[in-house]
Parts: sequence; structure tokens; C-alpha cells
Amino acid sequence: MSIVLARIDNRLIHGQVIEAWVPSVKADCIVVANDQVARHPFQRVLMEAAVPRGIRVEISAIEQIAAVLGSDSCRNGRVLLLFASSEDALKAHRAGVDFSELNLGNMHAGDGKLRYSCTIALDADDIENLGRLEEDGVQIVSQCIPSDRRQPWRKMIRTTS
Amino acid sequence: MLADYLMASVVAVIAGLDRTAAFQFMLSRPIVAAPLTGLLLGSPLTGLQVGALIELLYLGRLPIGAAIPPDDTQVAVGASAIAVSTGGALGLAGFPFAILATLIALPLGKVGQLFDRAARVWNARLLAQAEADINAGRLETFEKLHLRGMVHFSLCSLGTYAVIVVLGSLLLHGVAPLLIEEVADAAGWLTLAFVVLGGAAILGTINVSRSMTLFAASFATAFLMLWLL
Amino acid sequence: MKEGRLSRRVLGQVVWRSFFLQASWNFERLQSLGMLYAIAPALRVLHQGEDLVAACRRHLEYFNTHPFMASPVLGTVLFLEEQSDDPDYAEITEFRRMVMAPYAAMGDALFWGGLRPVAAGVSLFFAARGSLWAPVIFLLFFNIPHLWLRISGLFRGYVQGLKVVELIQRRRLPDAAIRLKEGMIVLLGGLCAYMTFLTLRGEDVATGLGFLVVPLVLLGGRLIANGFSTLLLILTASALITWVIWIF
Repeated sequence: MSIVLARIDNRLIHGQVIEAWVPSVKADCIVVANDQVARHPFQRVLMEAAVPRGIRVEISAIEQIAAVLGSDSCRNGRVLLLFASSEDALKAHRAGVDFSELNLGNMHAGDGKLRYSCTIALDADDIENLGRLEEDGVQIVSQCIPSDRRQPWRKMIRTTS
Repeated sequence: MLADYLMASVVAVIAGLDRTAAFQFMLSRPIVAAPLTGLLLGSPLTGLQVGALIELLYLGRLPIGAAIPPDDTQVAVGASAIAVSTGGALGLAGFPFAILATLIALPLGKVGQLFDRAARVWNARLLAQAEADINAGRLETFEKLHLRGMVHFSLCSLGTYAVIVVLGSLLLHGVAPLLIEEVADAAGWLTLAFVVLGGAAILGTINVSRSMTLFAASFATAFLMLWLL
Repeated sequence: MKEGRLSRRVLGQVVWRSFFLQASWNFERLQSLGMLYAIAPALRVLHQGEDLVAACRRHLEYFNTHPFMASPVLGTVLFLEEQSDDPDYAEITEFRRMVMAPYAAMGDALFWGGLRPVAAGVSLFFAARGSLWAPVIFLLFFNIPHLWLRISGLFRGYVQGLKVVELIQRRRLPDAAIRLKEGMIVLLGGLCAYMTFLTLRGEDVATGLGFLVVPLVLLGGRLIANGFSTLLLILTASALITWVIWIF
């Protein structure tokens, strides 16, 4: 198993992921790590229906994500791992899911969140979570789609605040 | 000449709105917007040439999510207007001049990203105002506020168009007389470069397995048939 | 059509307004105000007074999907607005939240990734021959499915409610999109071959050399996949070509 992309995207599976990232990193398995979706059968089915045949989809709660990644269906695949929030990414990483780089895709605005780029708004908790991931040795980069410029998140925060 | 550019600005606004804000009938695609501009200025074929070149190059580009691509719509409208109007004024109108206008307009289209972003940031105020009104129980305003976003998108399209047309025609006044003969000699090969890179852009980014094989097989079959028949 | 409280006239108004879904697109909540704008005439029929204010607030929440796929969503939302007996309408908020991303993925794949390049590819054959039918053909090819989805999607969503989700699922749209894209690549191969053939004949060069275009396209594809910009490549290639021609 190799994680070819780990990404925070509050929209989880959508056009940017399927049309742009999947071909760019040559992923053949999308793993969605999200408690809410995993619990909700209707949403699971919808999400699976958005992905063309030939790409496997695994949807699982954060706690079980390490087990899913080690399972038969993902073991030999090129995995694209999706989180909806920085909290989930941190939890998964602490639970032993090993990714060395984390892509920030879409983290949309909300109460108490400050906008740092077109698609990324963070609050204090987000910054703390990402900081912890960084301490654990994860490189955090903001890049919405592959043709966008990669920007280290520290730089993004500095240039706009 | 100014009258030409003002007329073409009508297409710039209509196609600019079609791009995101309204309808999305694809009038904003170069293959439509450029011949439309040409038609308005009396030379639809020049517009078609410009539109086809840009369409070829950006065939595979997707407007996905919040990511904003360079403004190929205003590049198409601007390059067509330049090709017909400035080309006519310099006495150089023709396919080579259309290629030159396209090549100069393409990098200028990058400013479209800034303008487009500005429109979308500007629109946030409309949302804030609409939300405040609704929370205060006033329900007569939000529809008008929403539609006002079209003014923002129009102005930003015009901004991009103006940059392309002003800088583009100035540059061409200087460059075209020097280069036009060489470009005329190279016209066929330059067209081929657009074909090759347009195809490459699709194959490089598409999520279809074995796309390269499929392309090569299709090319070879079609080419052999054309050659032998 | 079953008798709902919304007349055809009101639904027609919603369809018309759905064409302006993105007029106030912004980075804060994307299409949210557009969604509210589109269904406002229907909300005014279904709710009054404080209920109407609450409904407007509910639909001002974050929303973003593919603009064409929004139609079935709007239809179903109106169905739920009319039928729901939940005083908080939590079901509606949840429905919007759940469908937007998967529908966006389907719409992006089908319309932006599949149909639009196919239509453009077909029309470019006409453009290559200098025919002004090219834009007309492109518009027809693209807009017939587009309009069909936008109009019928809304009505079906309103009549069938949540069942429309099943209907869309059964169509396996992402697989259809892949088929379209494969067709597009075949078309692209043909188009490239045709334009290469025309160029070589025009330049009076041995036709067999045309096969060199294939490795060139594959090389360009590799470069672009590795992050080279198409714009930079076309400018470099054009400068090189003009320079070489100038030398000879």
C-alpha cells in the first residue's frame, strides 16, 4: 500500500479529486476517512456512485482507517486519502496512518475562520492541529488542483495575516 | 478602430457572463466567442481561425470547483478583435496576423485570473448584505443583490478584455511588421504546434486508462486512411 | 404530473432562475445565494411570514455543485419543502449537504470532462475546413443534453423527490463520462491526423513524416503531466518554429 496523496477537502469526493488529482497521482483507490459519512448509508452510496468503475472507494470511520488501509482491497493500490478536517487528519495520523505530506485542498469558511487563500479558511484549532502534524514530521502544502502552485502552509499563513 | 473595440466589448460582456454567472450555453468557449466577435466586426472567418486555435489548446481544461483557469474567453474575444481591427489598420489582416494576435493575447489572458478572483471576492459583500437583510426579516432585497453579481462579473470581464486589447494591439503595432513574414512562412507549422500541444494537454491530464494507446491507434488509423485514399 | 402546491408557472420560474445560479458566486458560500434566488418564487408559495424567513435562512447555507446538476437538487428540495413534516426541516439541510459534492463530481465528469470536449472536437473538424458551421454544431451538440437535464431535472426532482437520486445513480453517470472521454480521445486522434495531413500537404512535405506527431504529442503529454504549463510550451514552441523557419 502506498498513499500517493493525503488531502484535506471538506467536499471529500468531488470534481477536483476525480478529474484532476486521480490522473495526476495515478491513484486507483480512494479512501474517505470520515465518521459522519461512514455512519450514513445514503451518503455512502451517493459518494460511491460519483466514482467511475476502475477506481475503488473505501469509506470508513477514522478509527478503522488504519485497518482499511492494511486490508486486501487497498494493500497493493495507490491510495488517495481524503479527510474533511484538520482534526480528522491529525487523529488518523496519531492512529498510525503514515503519510509524509498533507495537501490542503478546500477548507471552507465558517464562524471564527479566517481566510488565507481562495479555498482555505482556518481557525485557531486548525492551525494548532496542522502545527502538531508538522511536529510529527508531516509536510503541509496548500494546492487546490495539480496545475496550481504548491505553497507551504506556513508561507500561506504568513503572507496573508 | 475604437468603434470596433467597443462593439467587440459587447461580446466580451455577454460571453464573460456566460462563462460563470449566467446560462452557461458555452457562448464563452473560444470556438463560439471568437467567430461571434469576428462576425460583429465583419470577418467571421478570422474569428473562426482564432477561436479554433485557442479551443484546440484549451480543449481539455476543466473549470472545476473553486479553481480559476486563465480567461480563454476574453483571450478569444480580444485576439479576434485585434486580428480584425488592428490587422486591418496595419494592412496585415490574414491568418498569419491572427496567429500572432492569438500568441500575444494568450499570456495576457493570465490577468483574467486576477479579475475573476476580484469579482468573486466582491460578490461576498452581496452575500453579507443579503444575509443581514434576511436576518432582519427584509425579504425584498436578496434577489436584486444576487443579480448585482452579474455587474461585478461583467466589469471584471471588461477589465480583462481591455488589458488584452490595449496591450495586445500596442505590442502588435511594434512587433507585427517585423515578424509577419516569418510567421506567414511558419503558419502551417504553428497551427500544427497548437494541435500537438492541445492533444498533449488532454492526454497529460485525463483520467482514462491507456489514453495514450487509444490516441496513437486512432491517429495512425485516421492518418493511414487519409494518406492512402 | 401529480398535483403539488407549486404550479407549472412557478416551477418554470425556478427553471429560468436556475440559469442565474452562479451570478453572485463567491468564496464564502459559493452558490448559496444563487440557490436561494432560484427557489425563492416557490418558497414564497409554500411559506409565509416567519416560516418564509426561516426558509430563506436555511437555503443561504453553504452550497456548491455542478450548475446543471443543481436542477434535480432544486427540484427535490422543493419536494421536501412541500412534504416535510419536520418542524426544523433538518432533512432538507442534510439533503443539500449530502448531494452537492457527489453531484458536482458527476456533472464535472460528464459535462466539463466529457461532453464539452467531444462537442468541441466534432466542431473543430468543421473549423479545420473553414466552415462557419463549427460554432453552431458545437452549441447544438452541447446544449441539447444540457437543457434537457436542467429542465427535466427540476420537474423530475419535484415530482419524485428522493427517488430522483436513485434514478441518477442507476444511470451510472461517471461510467458514461469515461465512455465519452474515450470517444473524445479517438476523435482527438482523428482530428490531429486530419490537421497534420492538411498541414503536410500544404507545406509539400513527405506525408509519412506525419507519424512523428504521435511521439510529439506523447512527449508533450508527459511534460504537461509533470507540471509544465501549456501556455509556456506553446509560446516556446512557436518561438522555436518561427526562428527555425527564419534561419532557413
